[in-house]
Amino acid sequence: MAMDALVRQGRDLRVDLFRGLALWAIFVNHIPGNWMGFVTPRNYVLADATETFVLLAGYAAGIAYGRIMDRQGWFFAASRVMGRAFTLYVAHIFLLVVFAAQVGYSAAALDSGAYLDELHLDPFTQAPYRALLEALLLRYQPSFLNILPLYIVLLAMFALALPLLRRPWLMLALSYGFYAVVRQTDWSLPAWTGEDWFFNPLAWQALFFTGCALGYVPRGGKPVALGFRWWLAAGCIVLLIAGAAASIILYFRWDIAEERLPQAVASYLAGIDKTAMHPMRLASMLALTYLVAHAVPREAGWLRSRPAWPWVLMGQQALPVFCTGIVLSFLGRMALEMSDRWPTQLGVNLVGPVVLTAVAMLTAWYGVEKKASRTASPLPSPAGADTG
Amino acid sequence: MLRVLTVLALLLPLPGLGADRPACDLPPELLHPEPLPAAAAAIAHGHLHILAIGSASVLGAGGTSPAAAWPERLRAVIAARRPNLDVTVEVRGGRGLSATDQRHLLNLALGNGRIDLVIWQAGATEAVRGLPVDGLTDVLTPALQQLRARDVDAIVMDLQFSRFLRANADVEPYREALRIAAAAAGVPLFPRYELMNHWADADSVDVERAARDARPAEVDRLNGCIADALAAFIREGVREARRPPP
Repeated sequence: MAMDALVRQGRDLRVDLFRGLALWAIFVNHIPGNWMGFVTPRNYVLADATETFVLLAGYAAGIAYGRIMDRQGWFFAASRVMGRAFTLYVAHIFLLVVFAAQVGYSAAALDSGAYLDELHLDPFTQAPYRALLEALLLRYQPSFLNILPLYIVLLAMFALALPLLRRPWLMLALSYGFYAVVRQTDWSLPAWTGEDWFFNPLAWQALFFTGCALGYVPRGGKPVALGFRWWLAAGCIVLLIAGAAASIILYFRWDIAEERLPQAVASYLAGIDKTAMHPMRLASMLALTYLVAHAVPREAGWLRSRPAWPWVLMGQQALPVFCTGIVLSFLGRMALEMSDRWPTQLGVNLVGPVVLTAVAMLTAWYGVEKKASRTASPLPSPAGADTG
Repeated sequence: MLRVLTVLALLLPLPGLGADRPACDLPPELLHPEPLPAAAAAIAHGHLHILAIGSASVLGAGGTSPAAAWPERLRAVIAARRPNLDVTVEVRGGRGLSATDQRHLLNLALGNGRIDLVIWQAGATEAVRGLPVDGLTDVLTPALQQLRARDVDAIVMDLQFSRFLRANADVEPYREALRIAAAAAGVPLFPRYELMNHWADADSVDVERAARDARPAEVDRLNGCIADALAAFIREGVREARRPPP
């Protein structure tokens, strides 16, 4: 089968492309010490792959479950959403087991417990049964395993809020109102460690519901969209340039930051948190989305070009690619733990994207084959929905 | 200026140095000292009272003895260079303490007597436990600003470089948070992570690659390197504070 045939057409390929890029960036950013980490957007935008992933996950959910709700009602659509959340939950628990095995293995291999503050890195050695319980309750989230718990809670909130899709402005008003309250009160979900979740879902929901509102297409209607206004675009550009300048100075030209950056600016930047989605990060992500949506036409030919298709394909098969990316990042970190010189760097950054693309191809092929066998059989096919 | 510093650091005797291994140098591009006016004023009056606050490493975890920990080594390095200076290094901290715990210890210590310079080794516990990053900045920035308001100098020391830690904990967000919190308070950051990474790459000192029985000696060696680098960092900060404003 031609590779291009695996890419599902008839959908907004821009969304798939950027989702694919976000999945790749999540893989890269989950490997501290990876040189590719210097080129991912987090270095020059005050929003990174996690924000992109959440926004586009909301977008995909808005399209798919909105359609199901319009056809089969809220209760059925909500059940489907919760089914998806359960799949994510199972995937999360699987990744957790992989993580625990990895920590145990490398702790034994390196024996660094003596001088590092690693006492709590692996609660499985200290209180295994409690750790297991807390992990099942999502109250214990080891490093690198905090995106799926966020996504699971967002989907659960979405299942309840589904009917609001039909009144998108009301949904957005409620969502942003709640976001404002959460920012003011510091409400969050509790973690086992006595602190809060690494990503606060109560704040991150604003981005997710924005995605839902943009994605949902009412029957016979048009989706929510902001038309092109030059002053709005100019505002977005100014915001992103300011964010880029600040990020580049902070990450790469630390000497400038210390000598010339006014302390007030540094103070402001210090307050930009990712945990509860600081308004600057939210605004940067929205500005980026607005500009990209208007700069890249939906029908742009290059979206169907050969260099674009691996990313589009990855974006279309988001869940398996995400999980594979997390597992691969474990392996990448182990490899860099052994040696972080250029041969390993090269290997990690070649093998990673190739395997991710292969997984996306395999999943897409499986989907195509399944569909083909269903069309051949006399049984009526249920309405298919994919979100990821 | 920093080239001079590097040369000075190279001239310092490094105990336990194997003949075939390079000394732990101080690459000038890694260190950006800032003026330490309180320390400069204290030295002019013949004393320097330092408070080292942090988690396991301030107590010399993994080394041969508590005397081999970097705070004690720092005191020894400064005392050797300035025999007439009354230098003390007080240590507060312990394994697994978060920035909130450390701030509490800091406030207690500040109530006990004059301190000229606080070296705050922060972020390790947060990174290891995967605690929310904003919790670290929320504690650190106001505490550092408060120190400045009280005319106490501060240096923020970041995480240890370790391949194990890097593979098993999400270190980058915490390193960034420490850097930004220090900048927000106008306080210099001592880049322990980058220095240790550099020394490991140059094979000057690499605890994780040392044989298990040689490990405590290697940790001592690391503490010696950290102490020398810190001493040079402080020296340069004091020099900058004395420089007349342009």
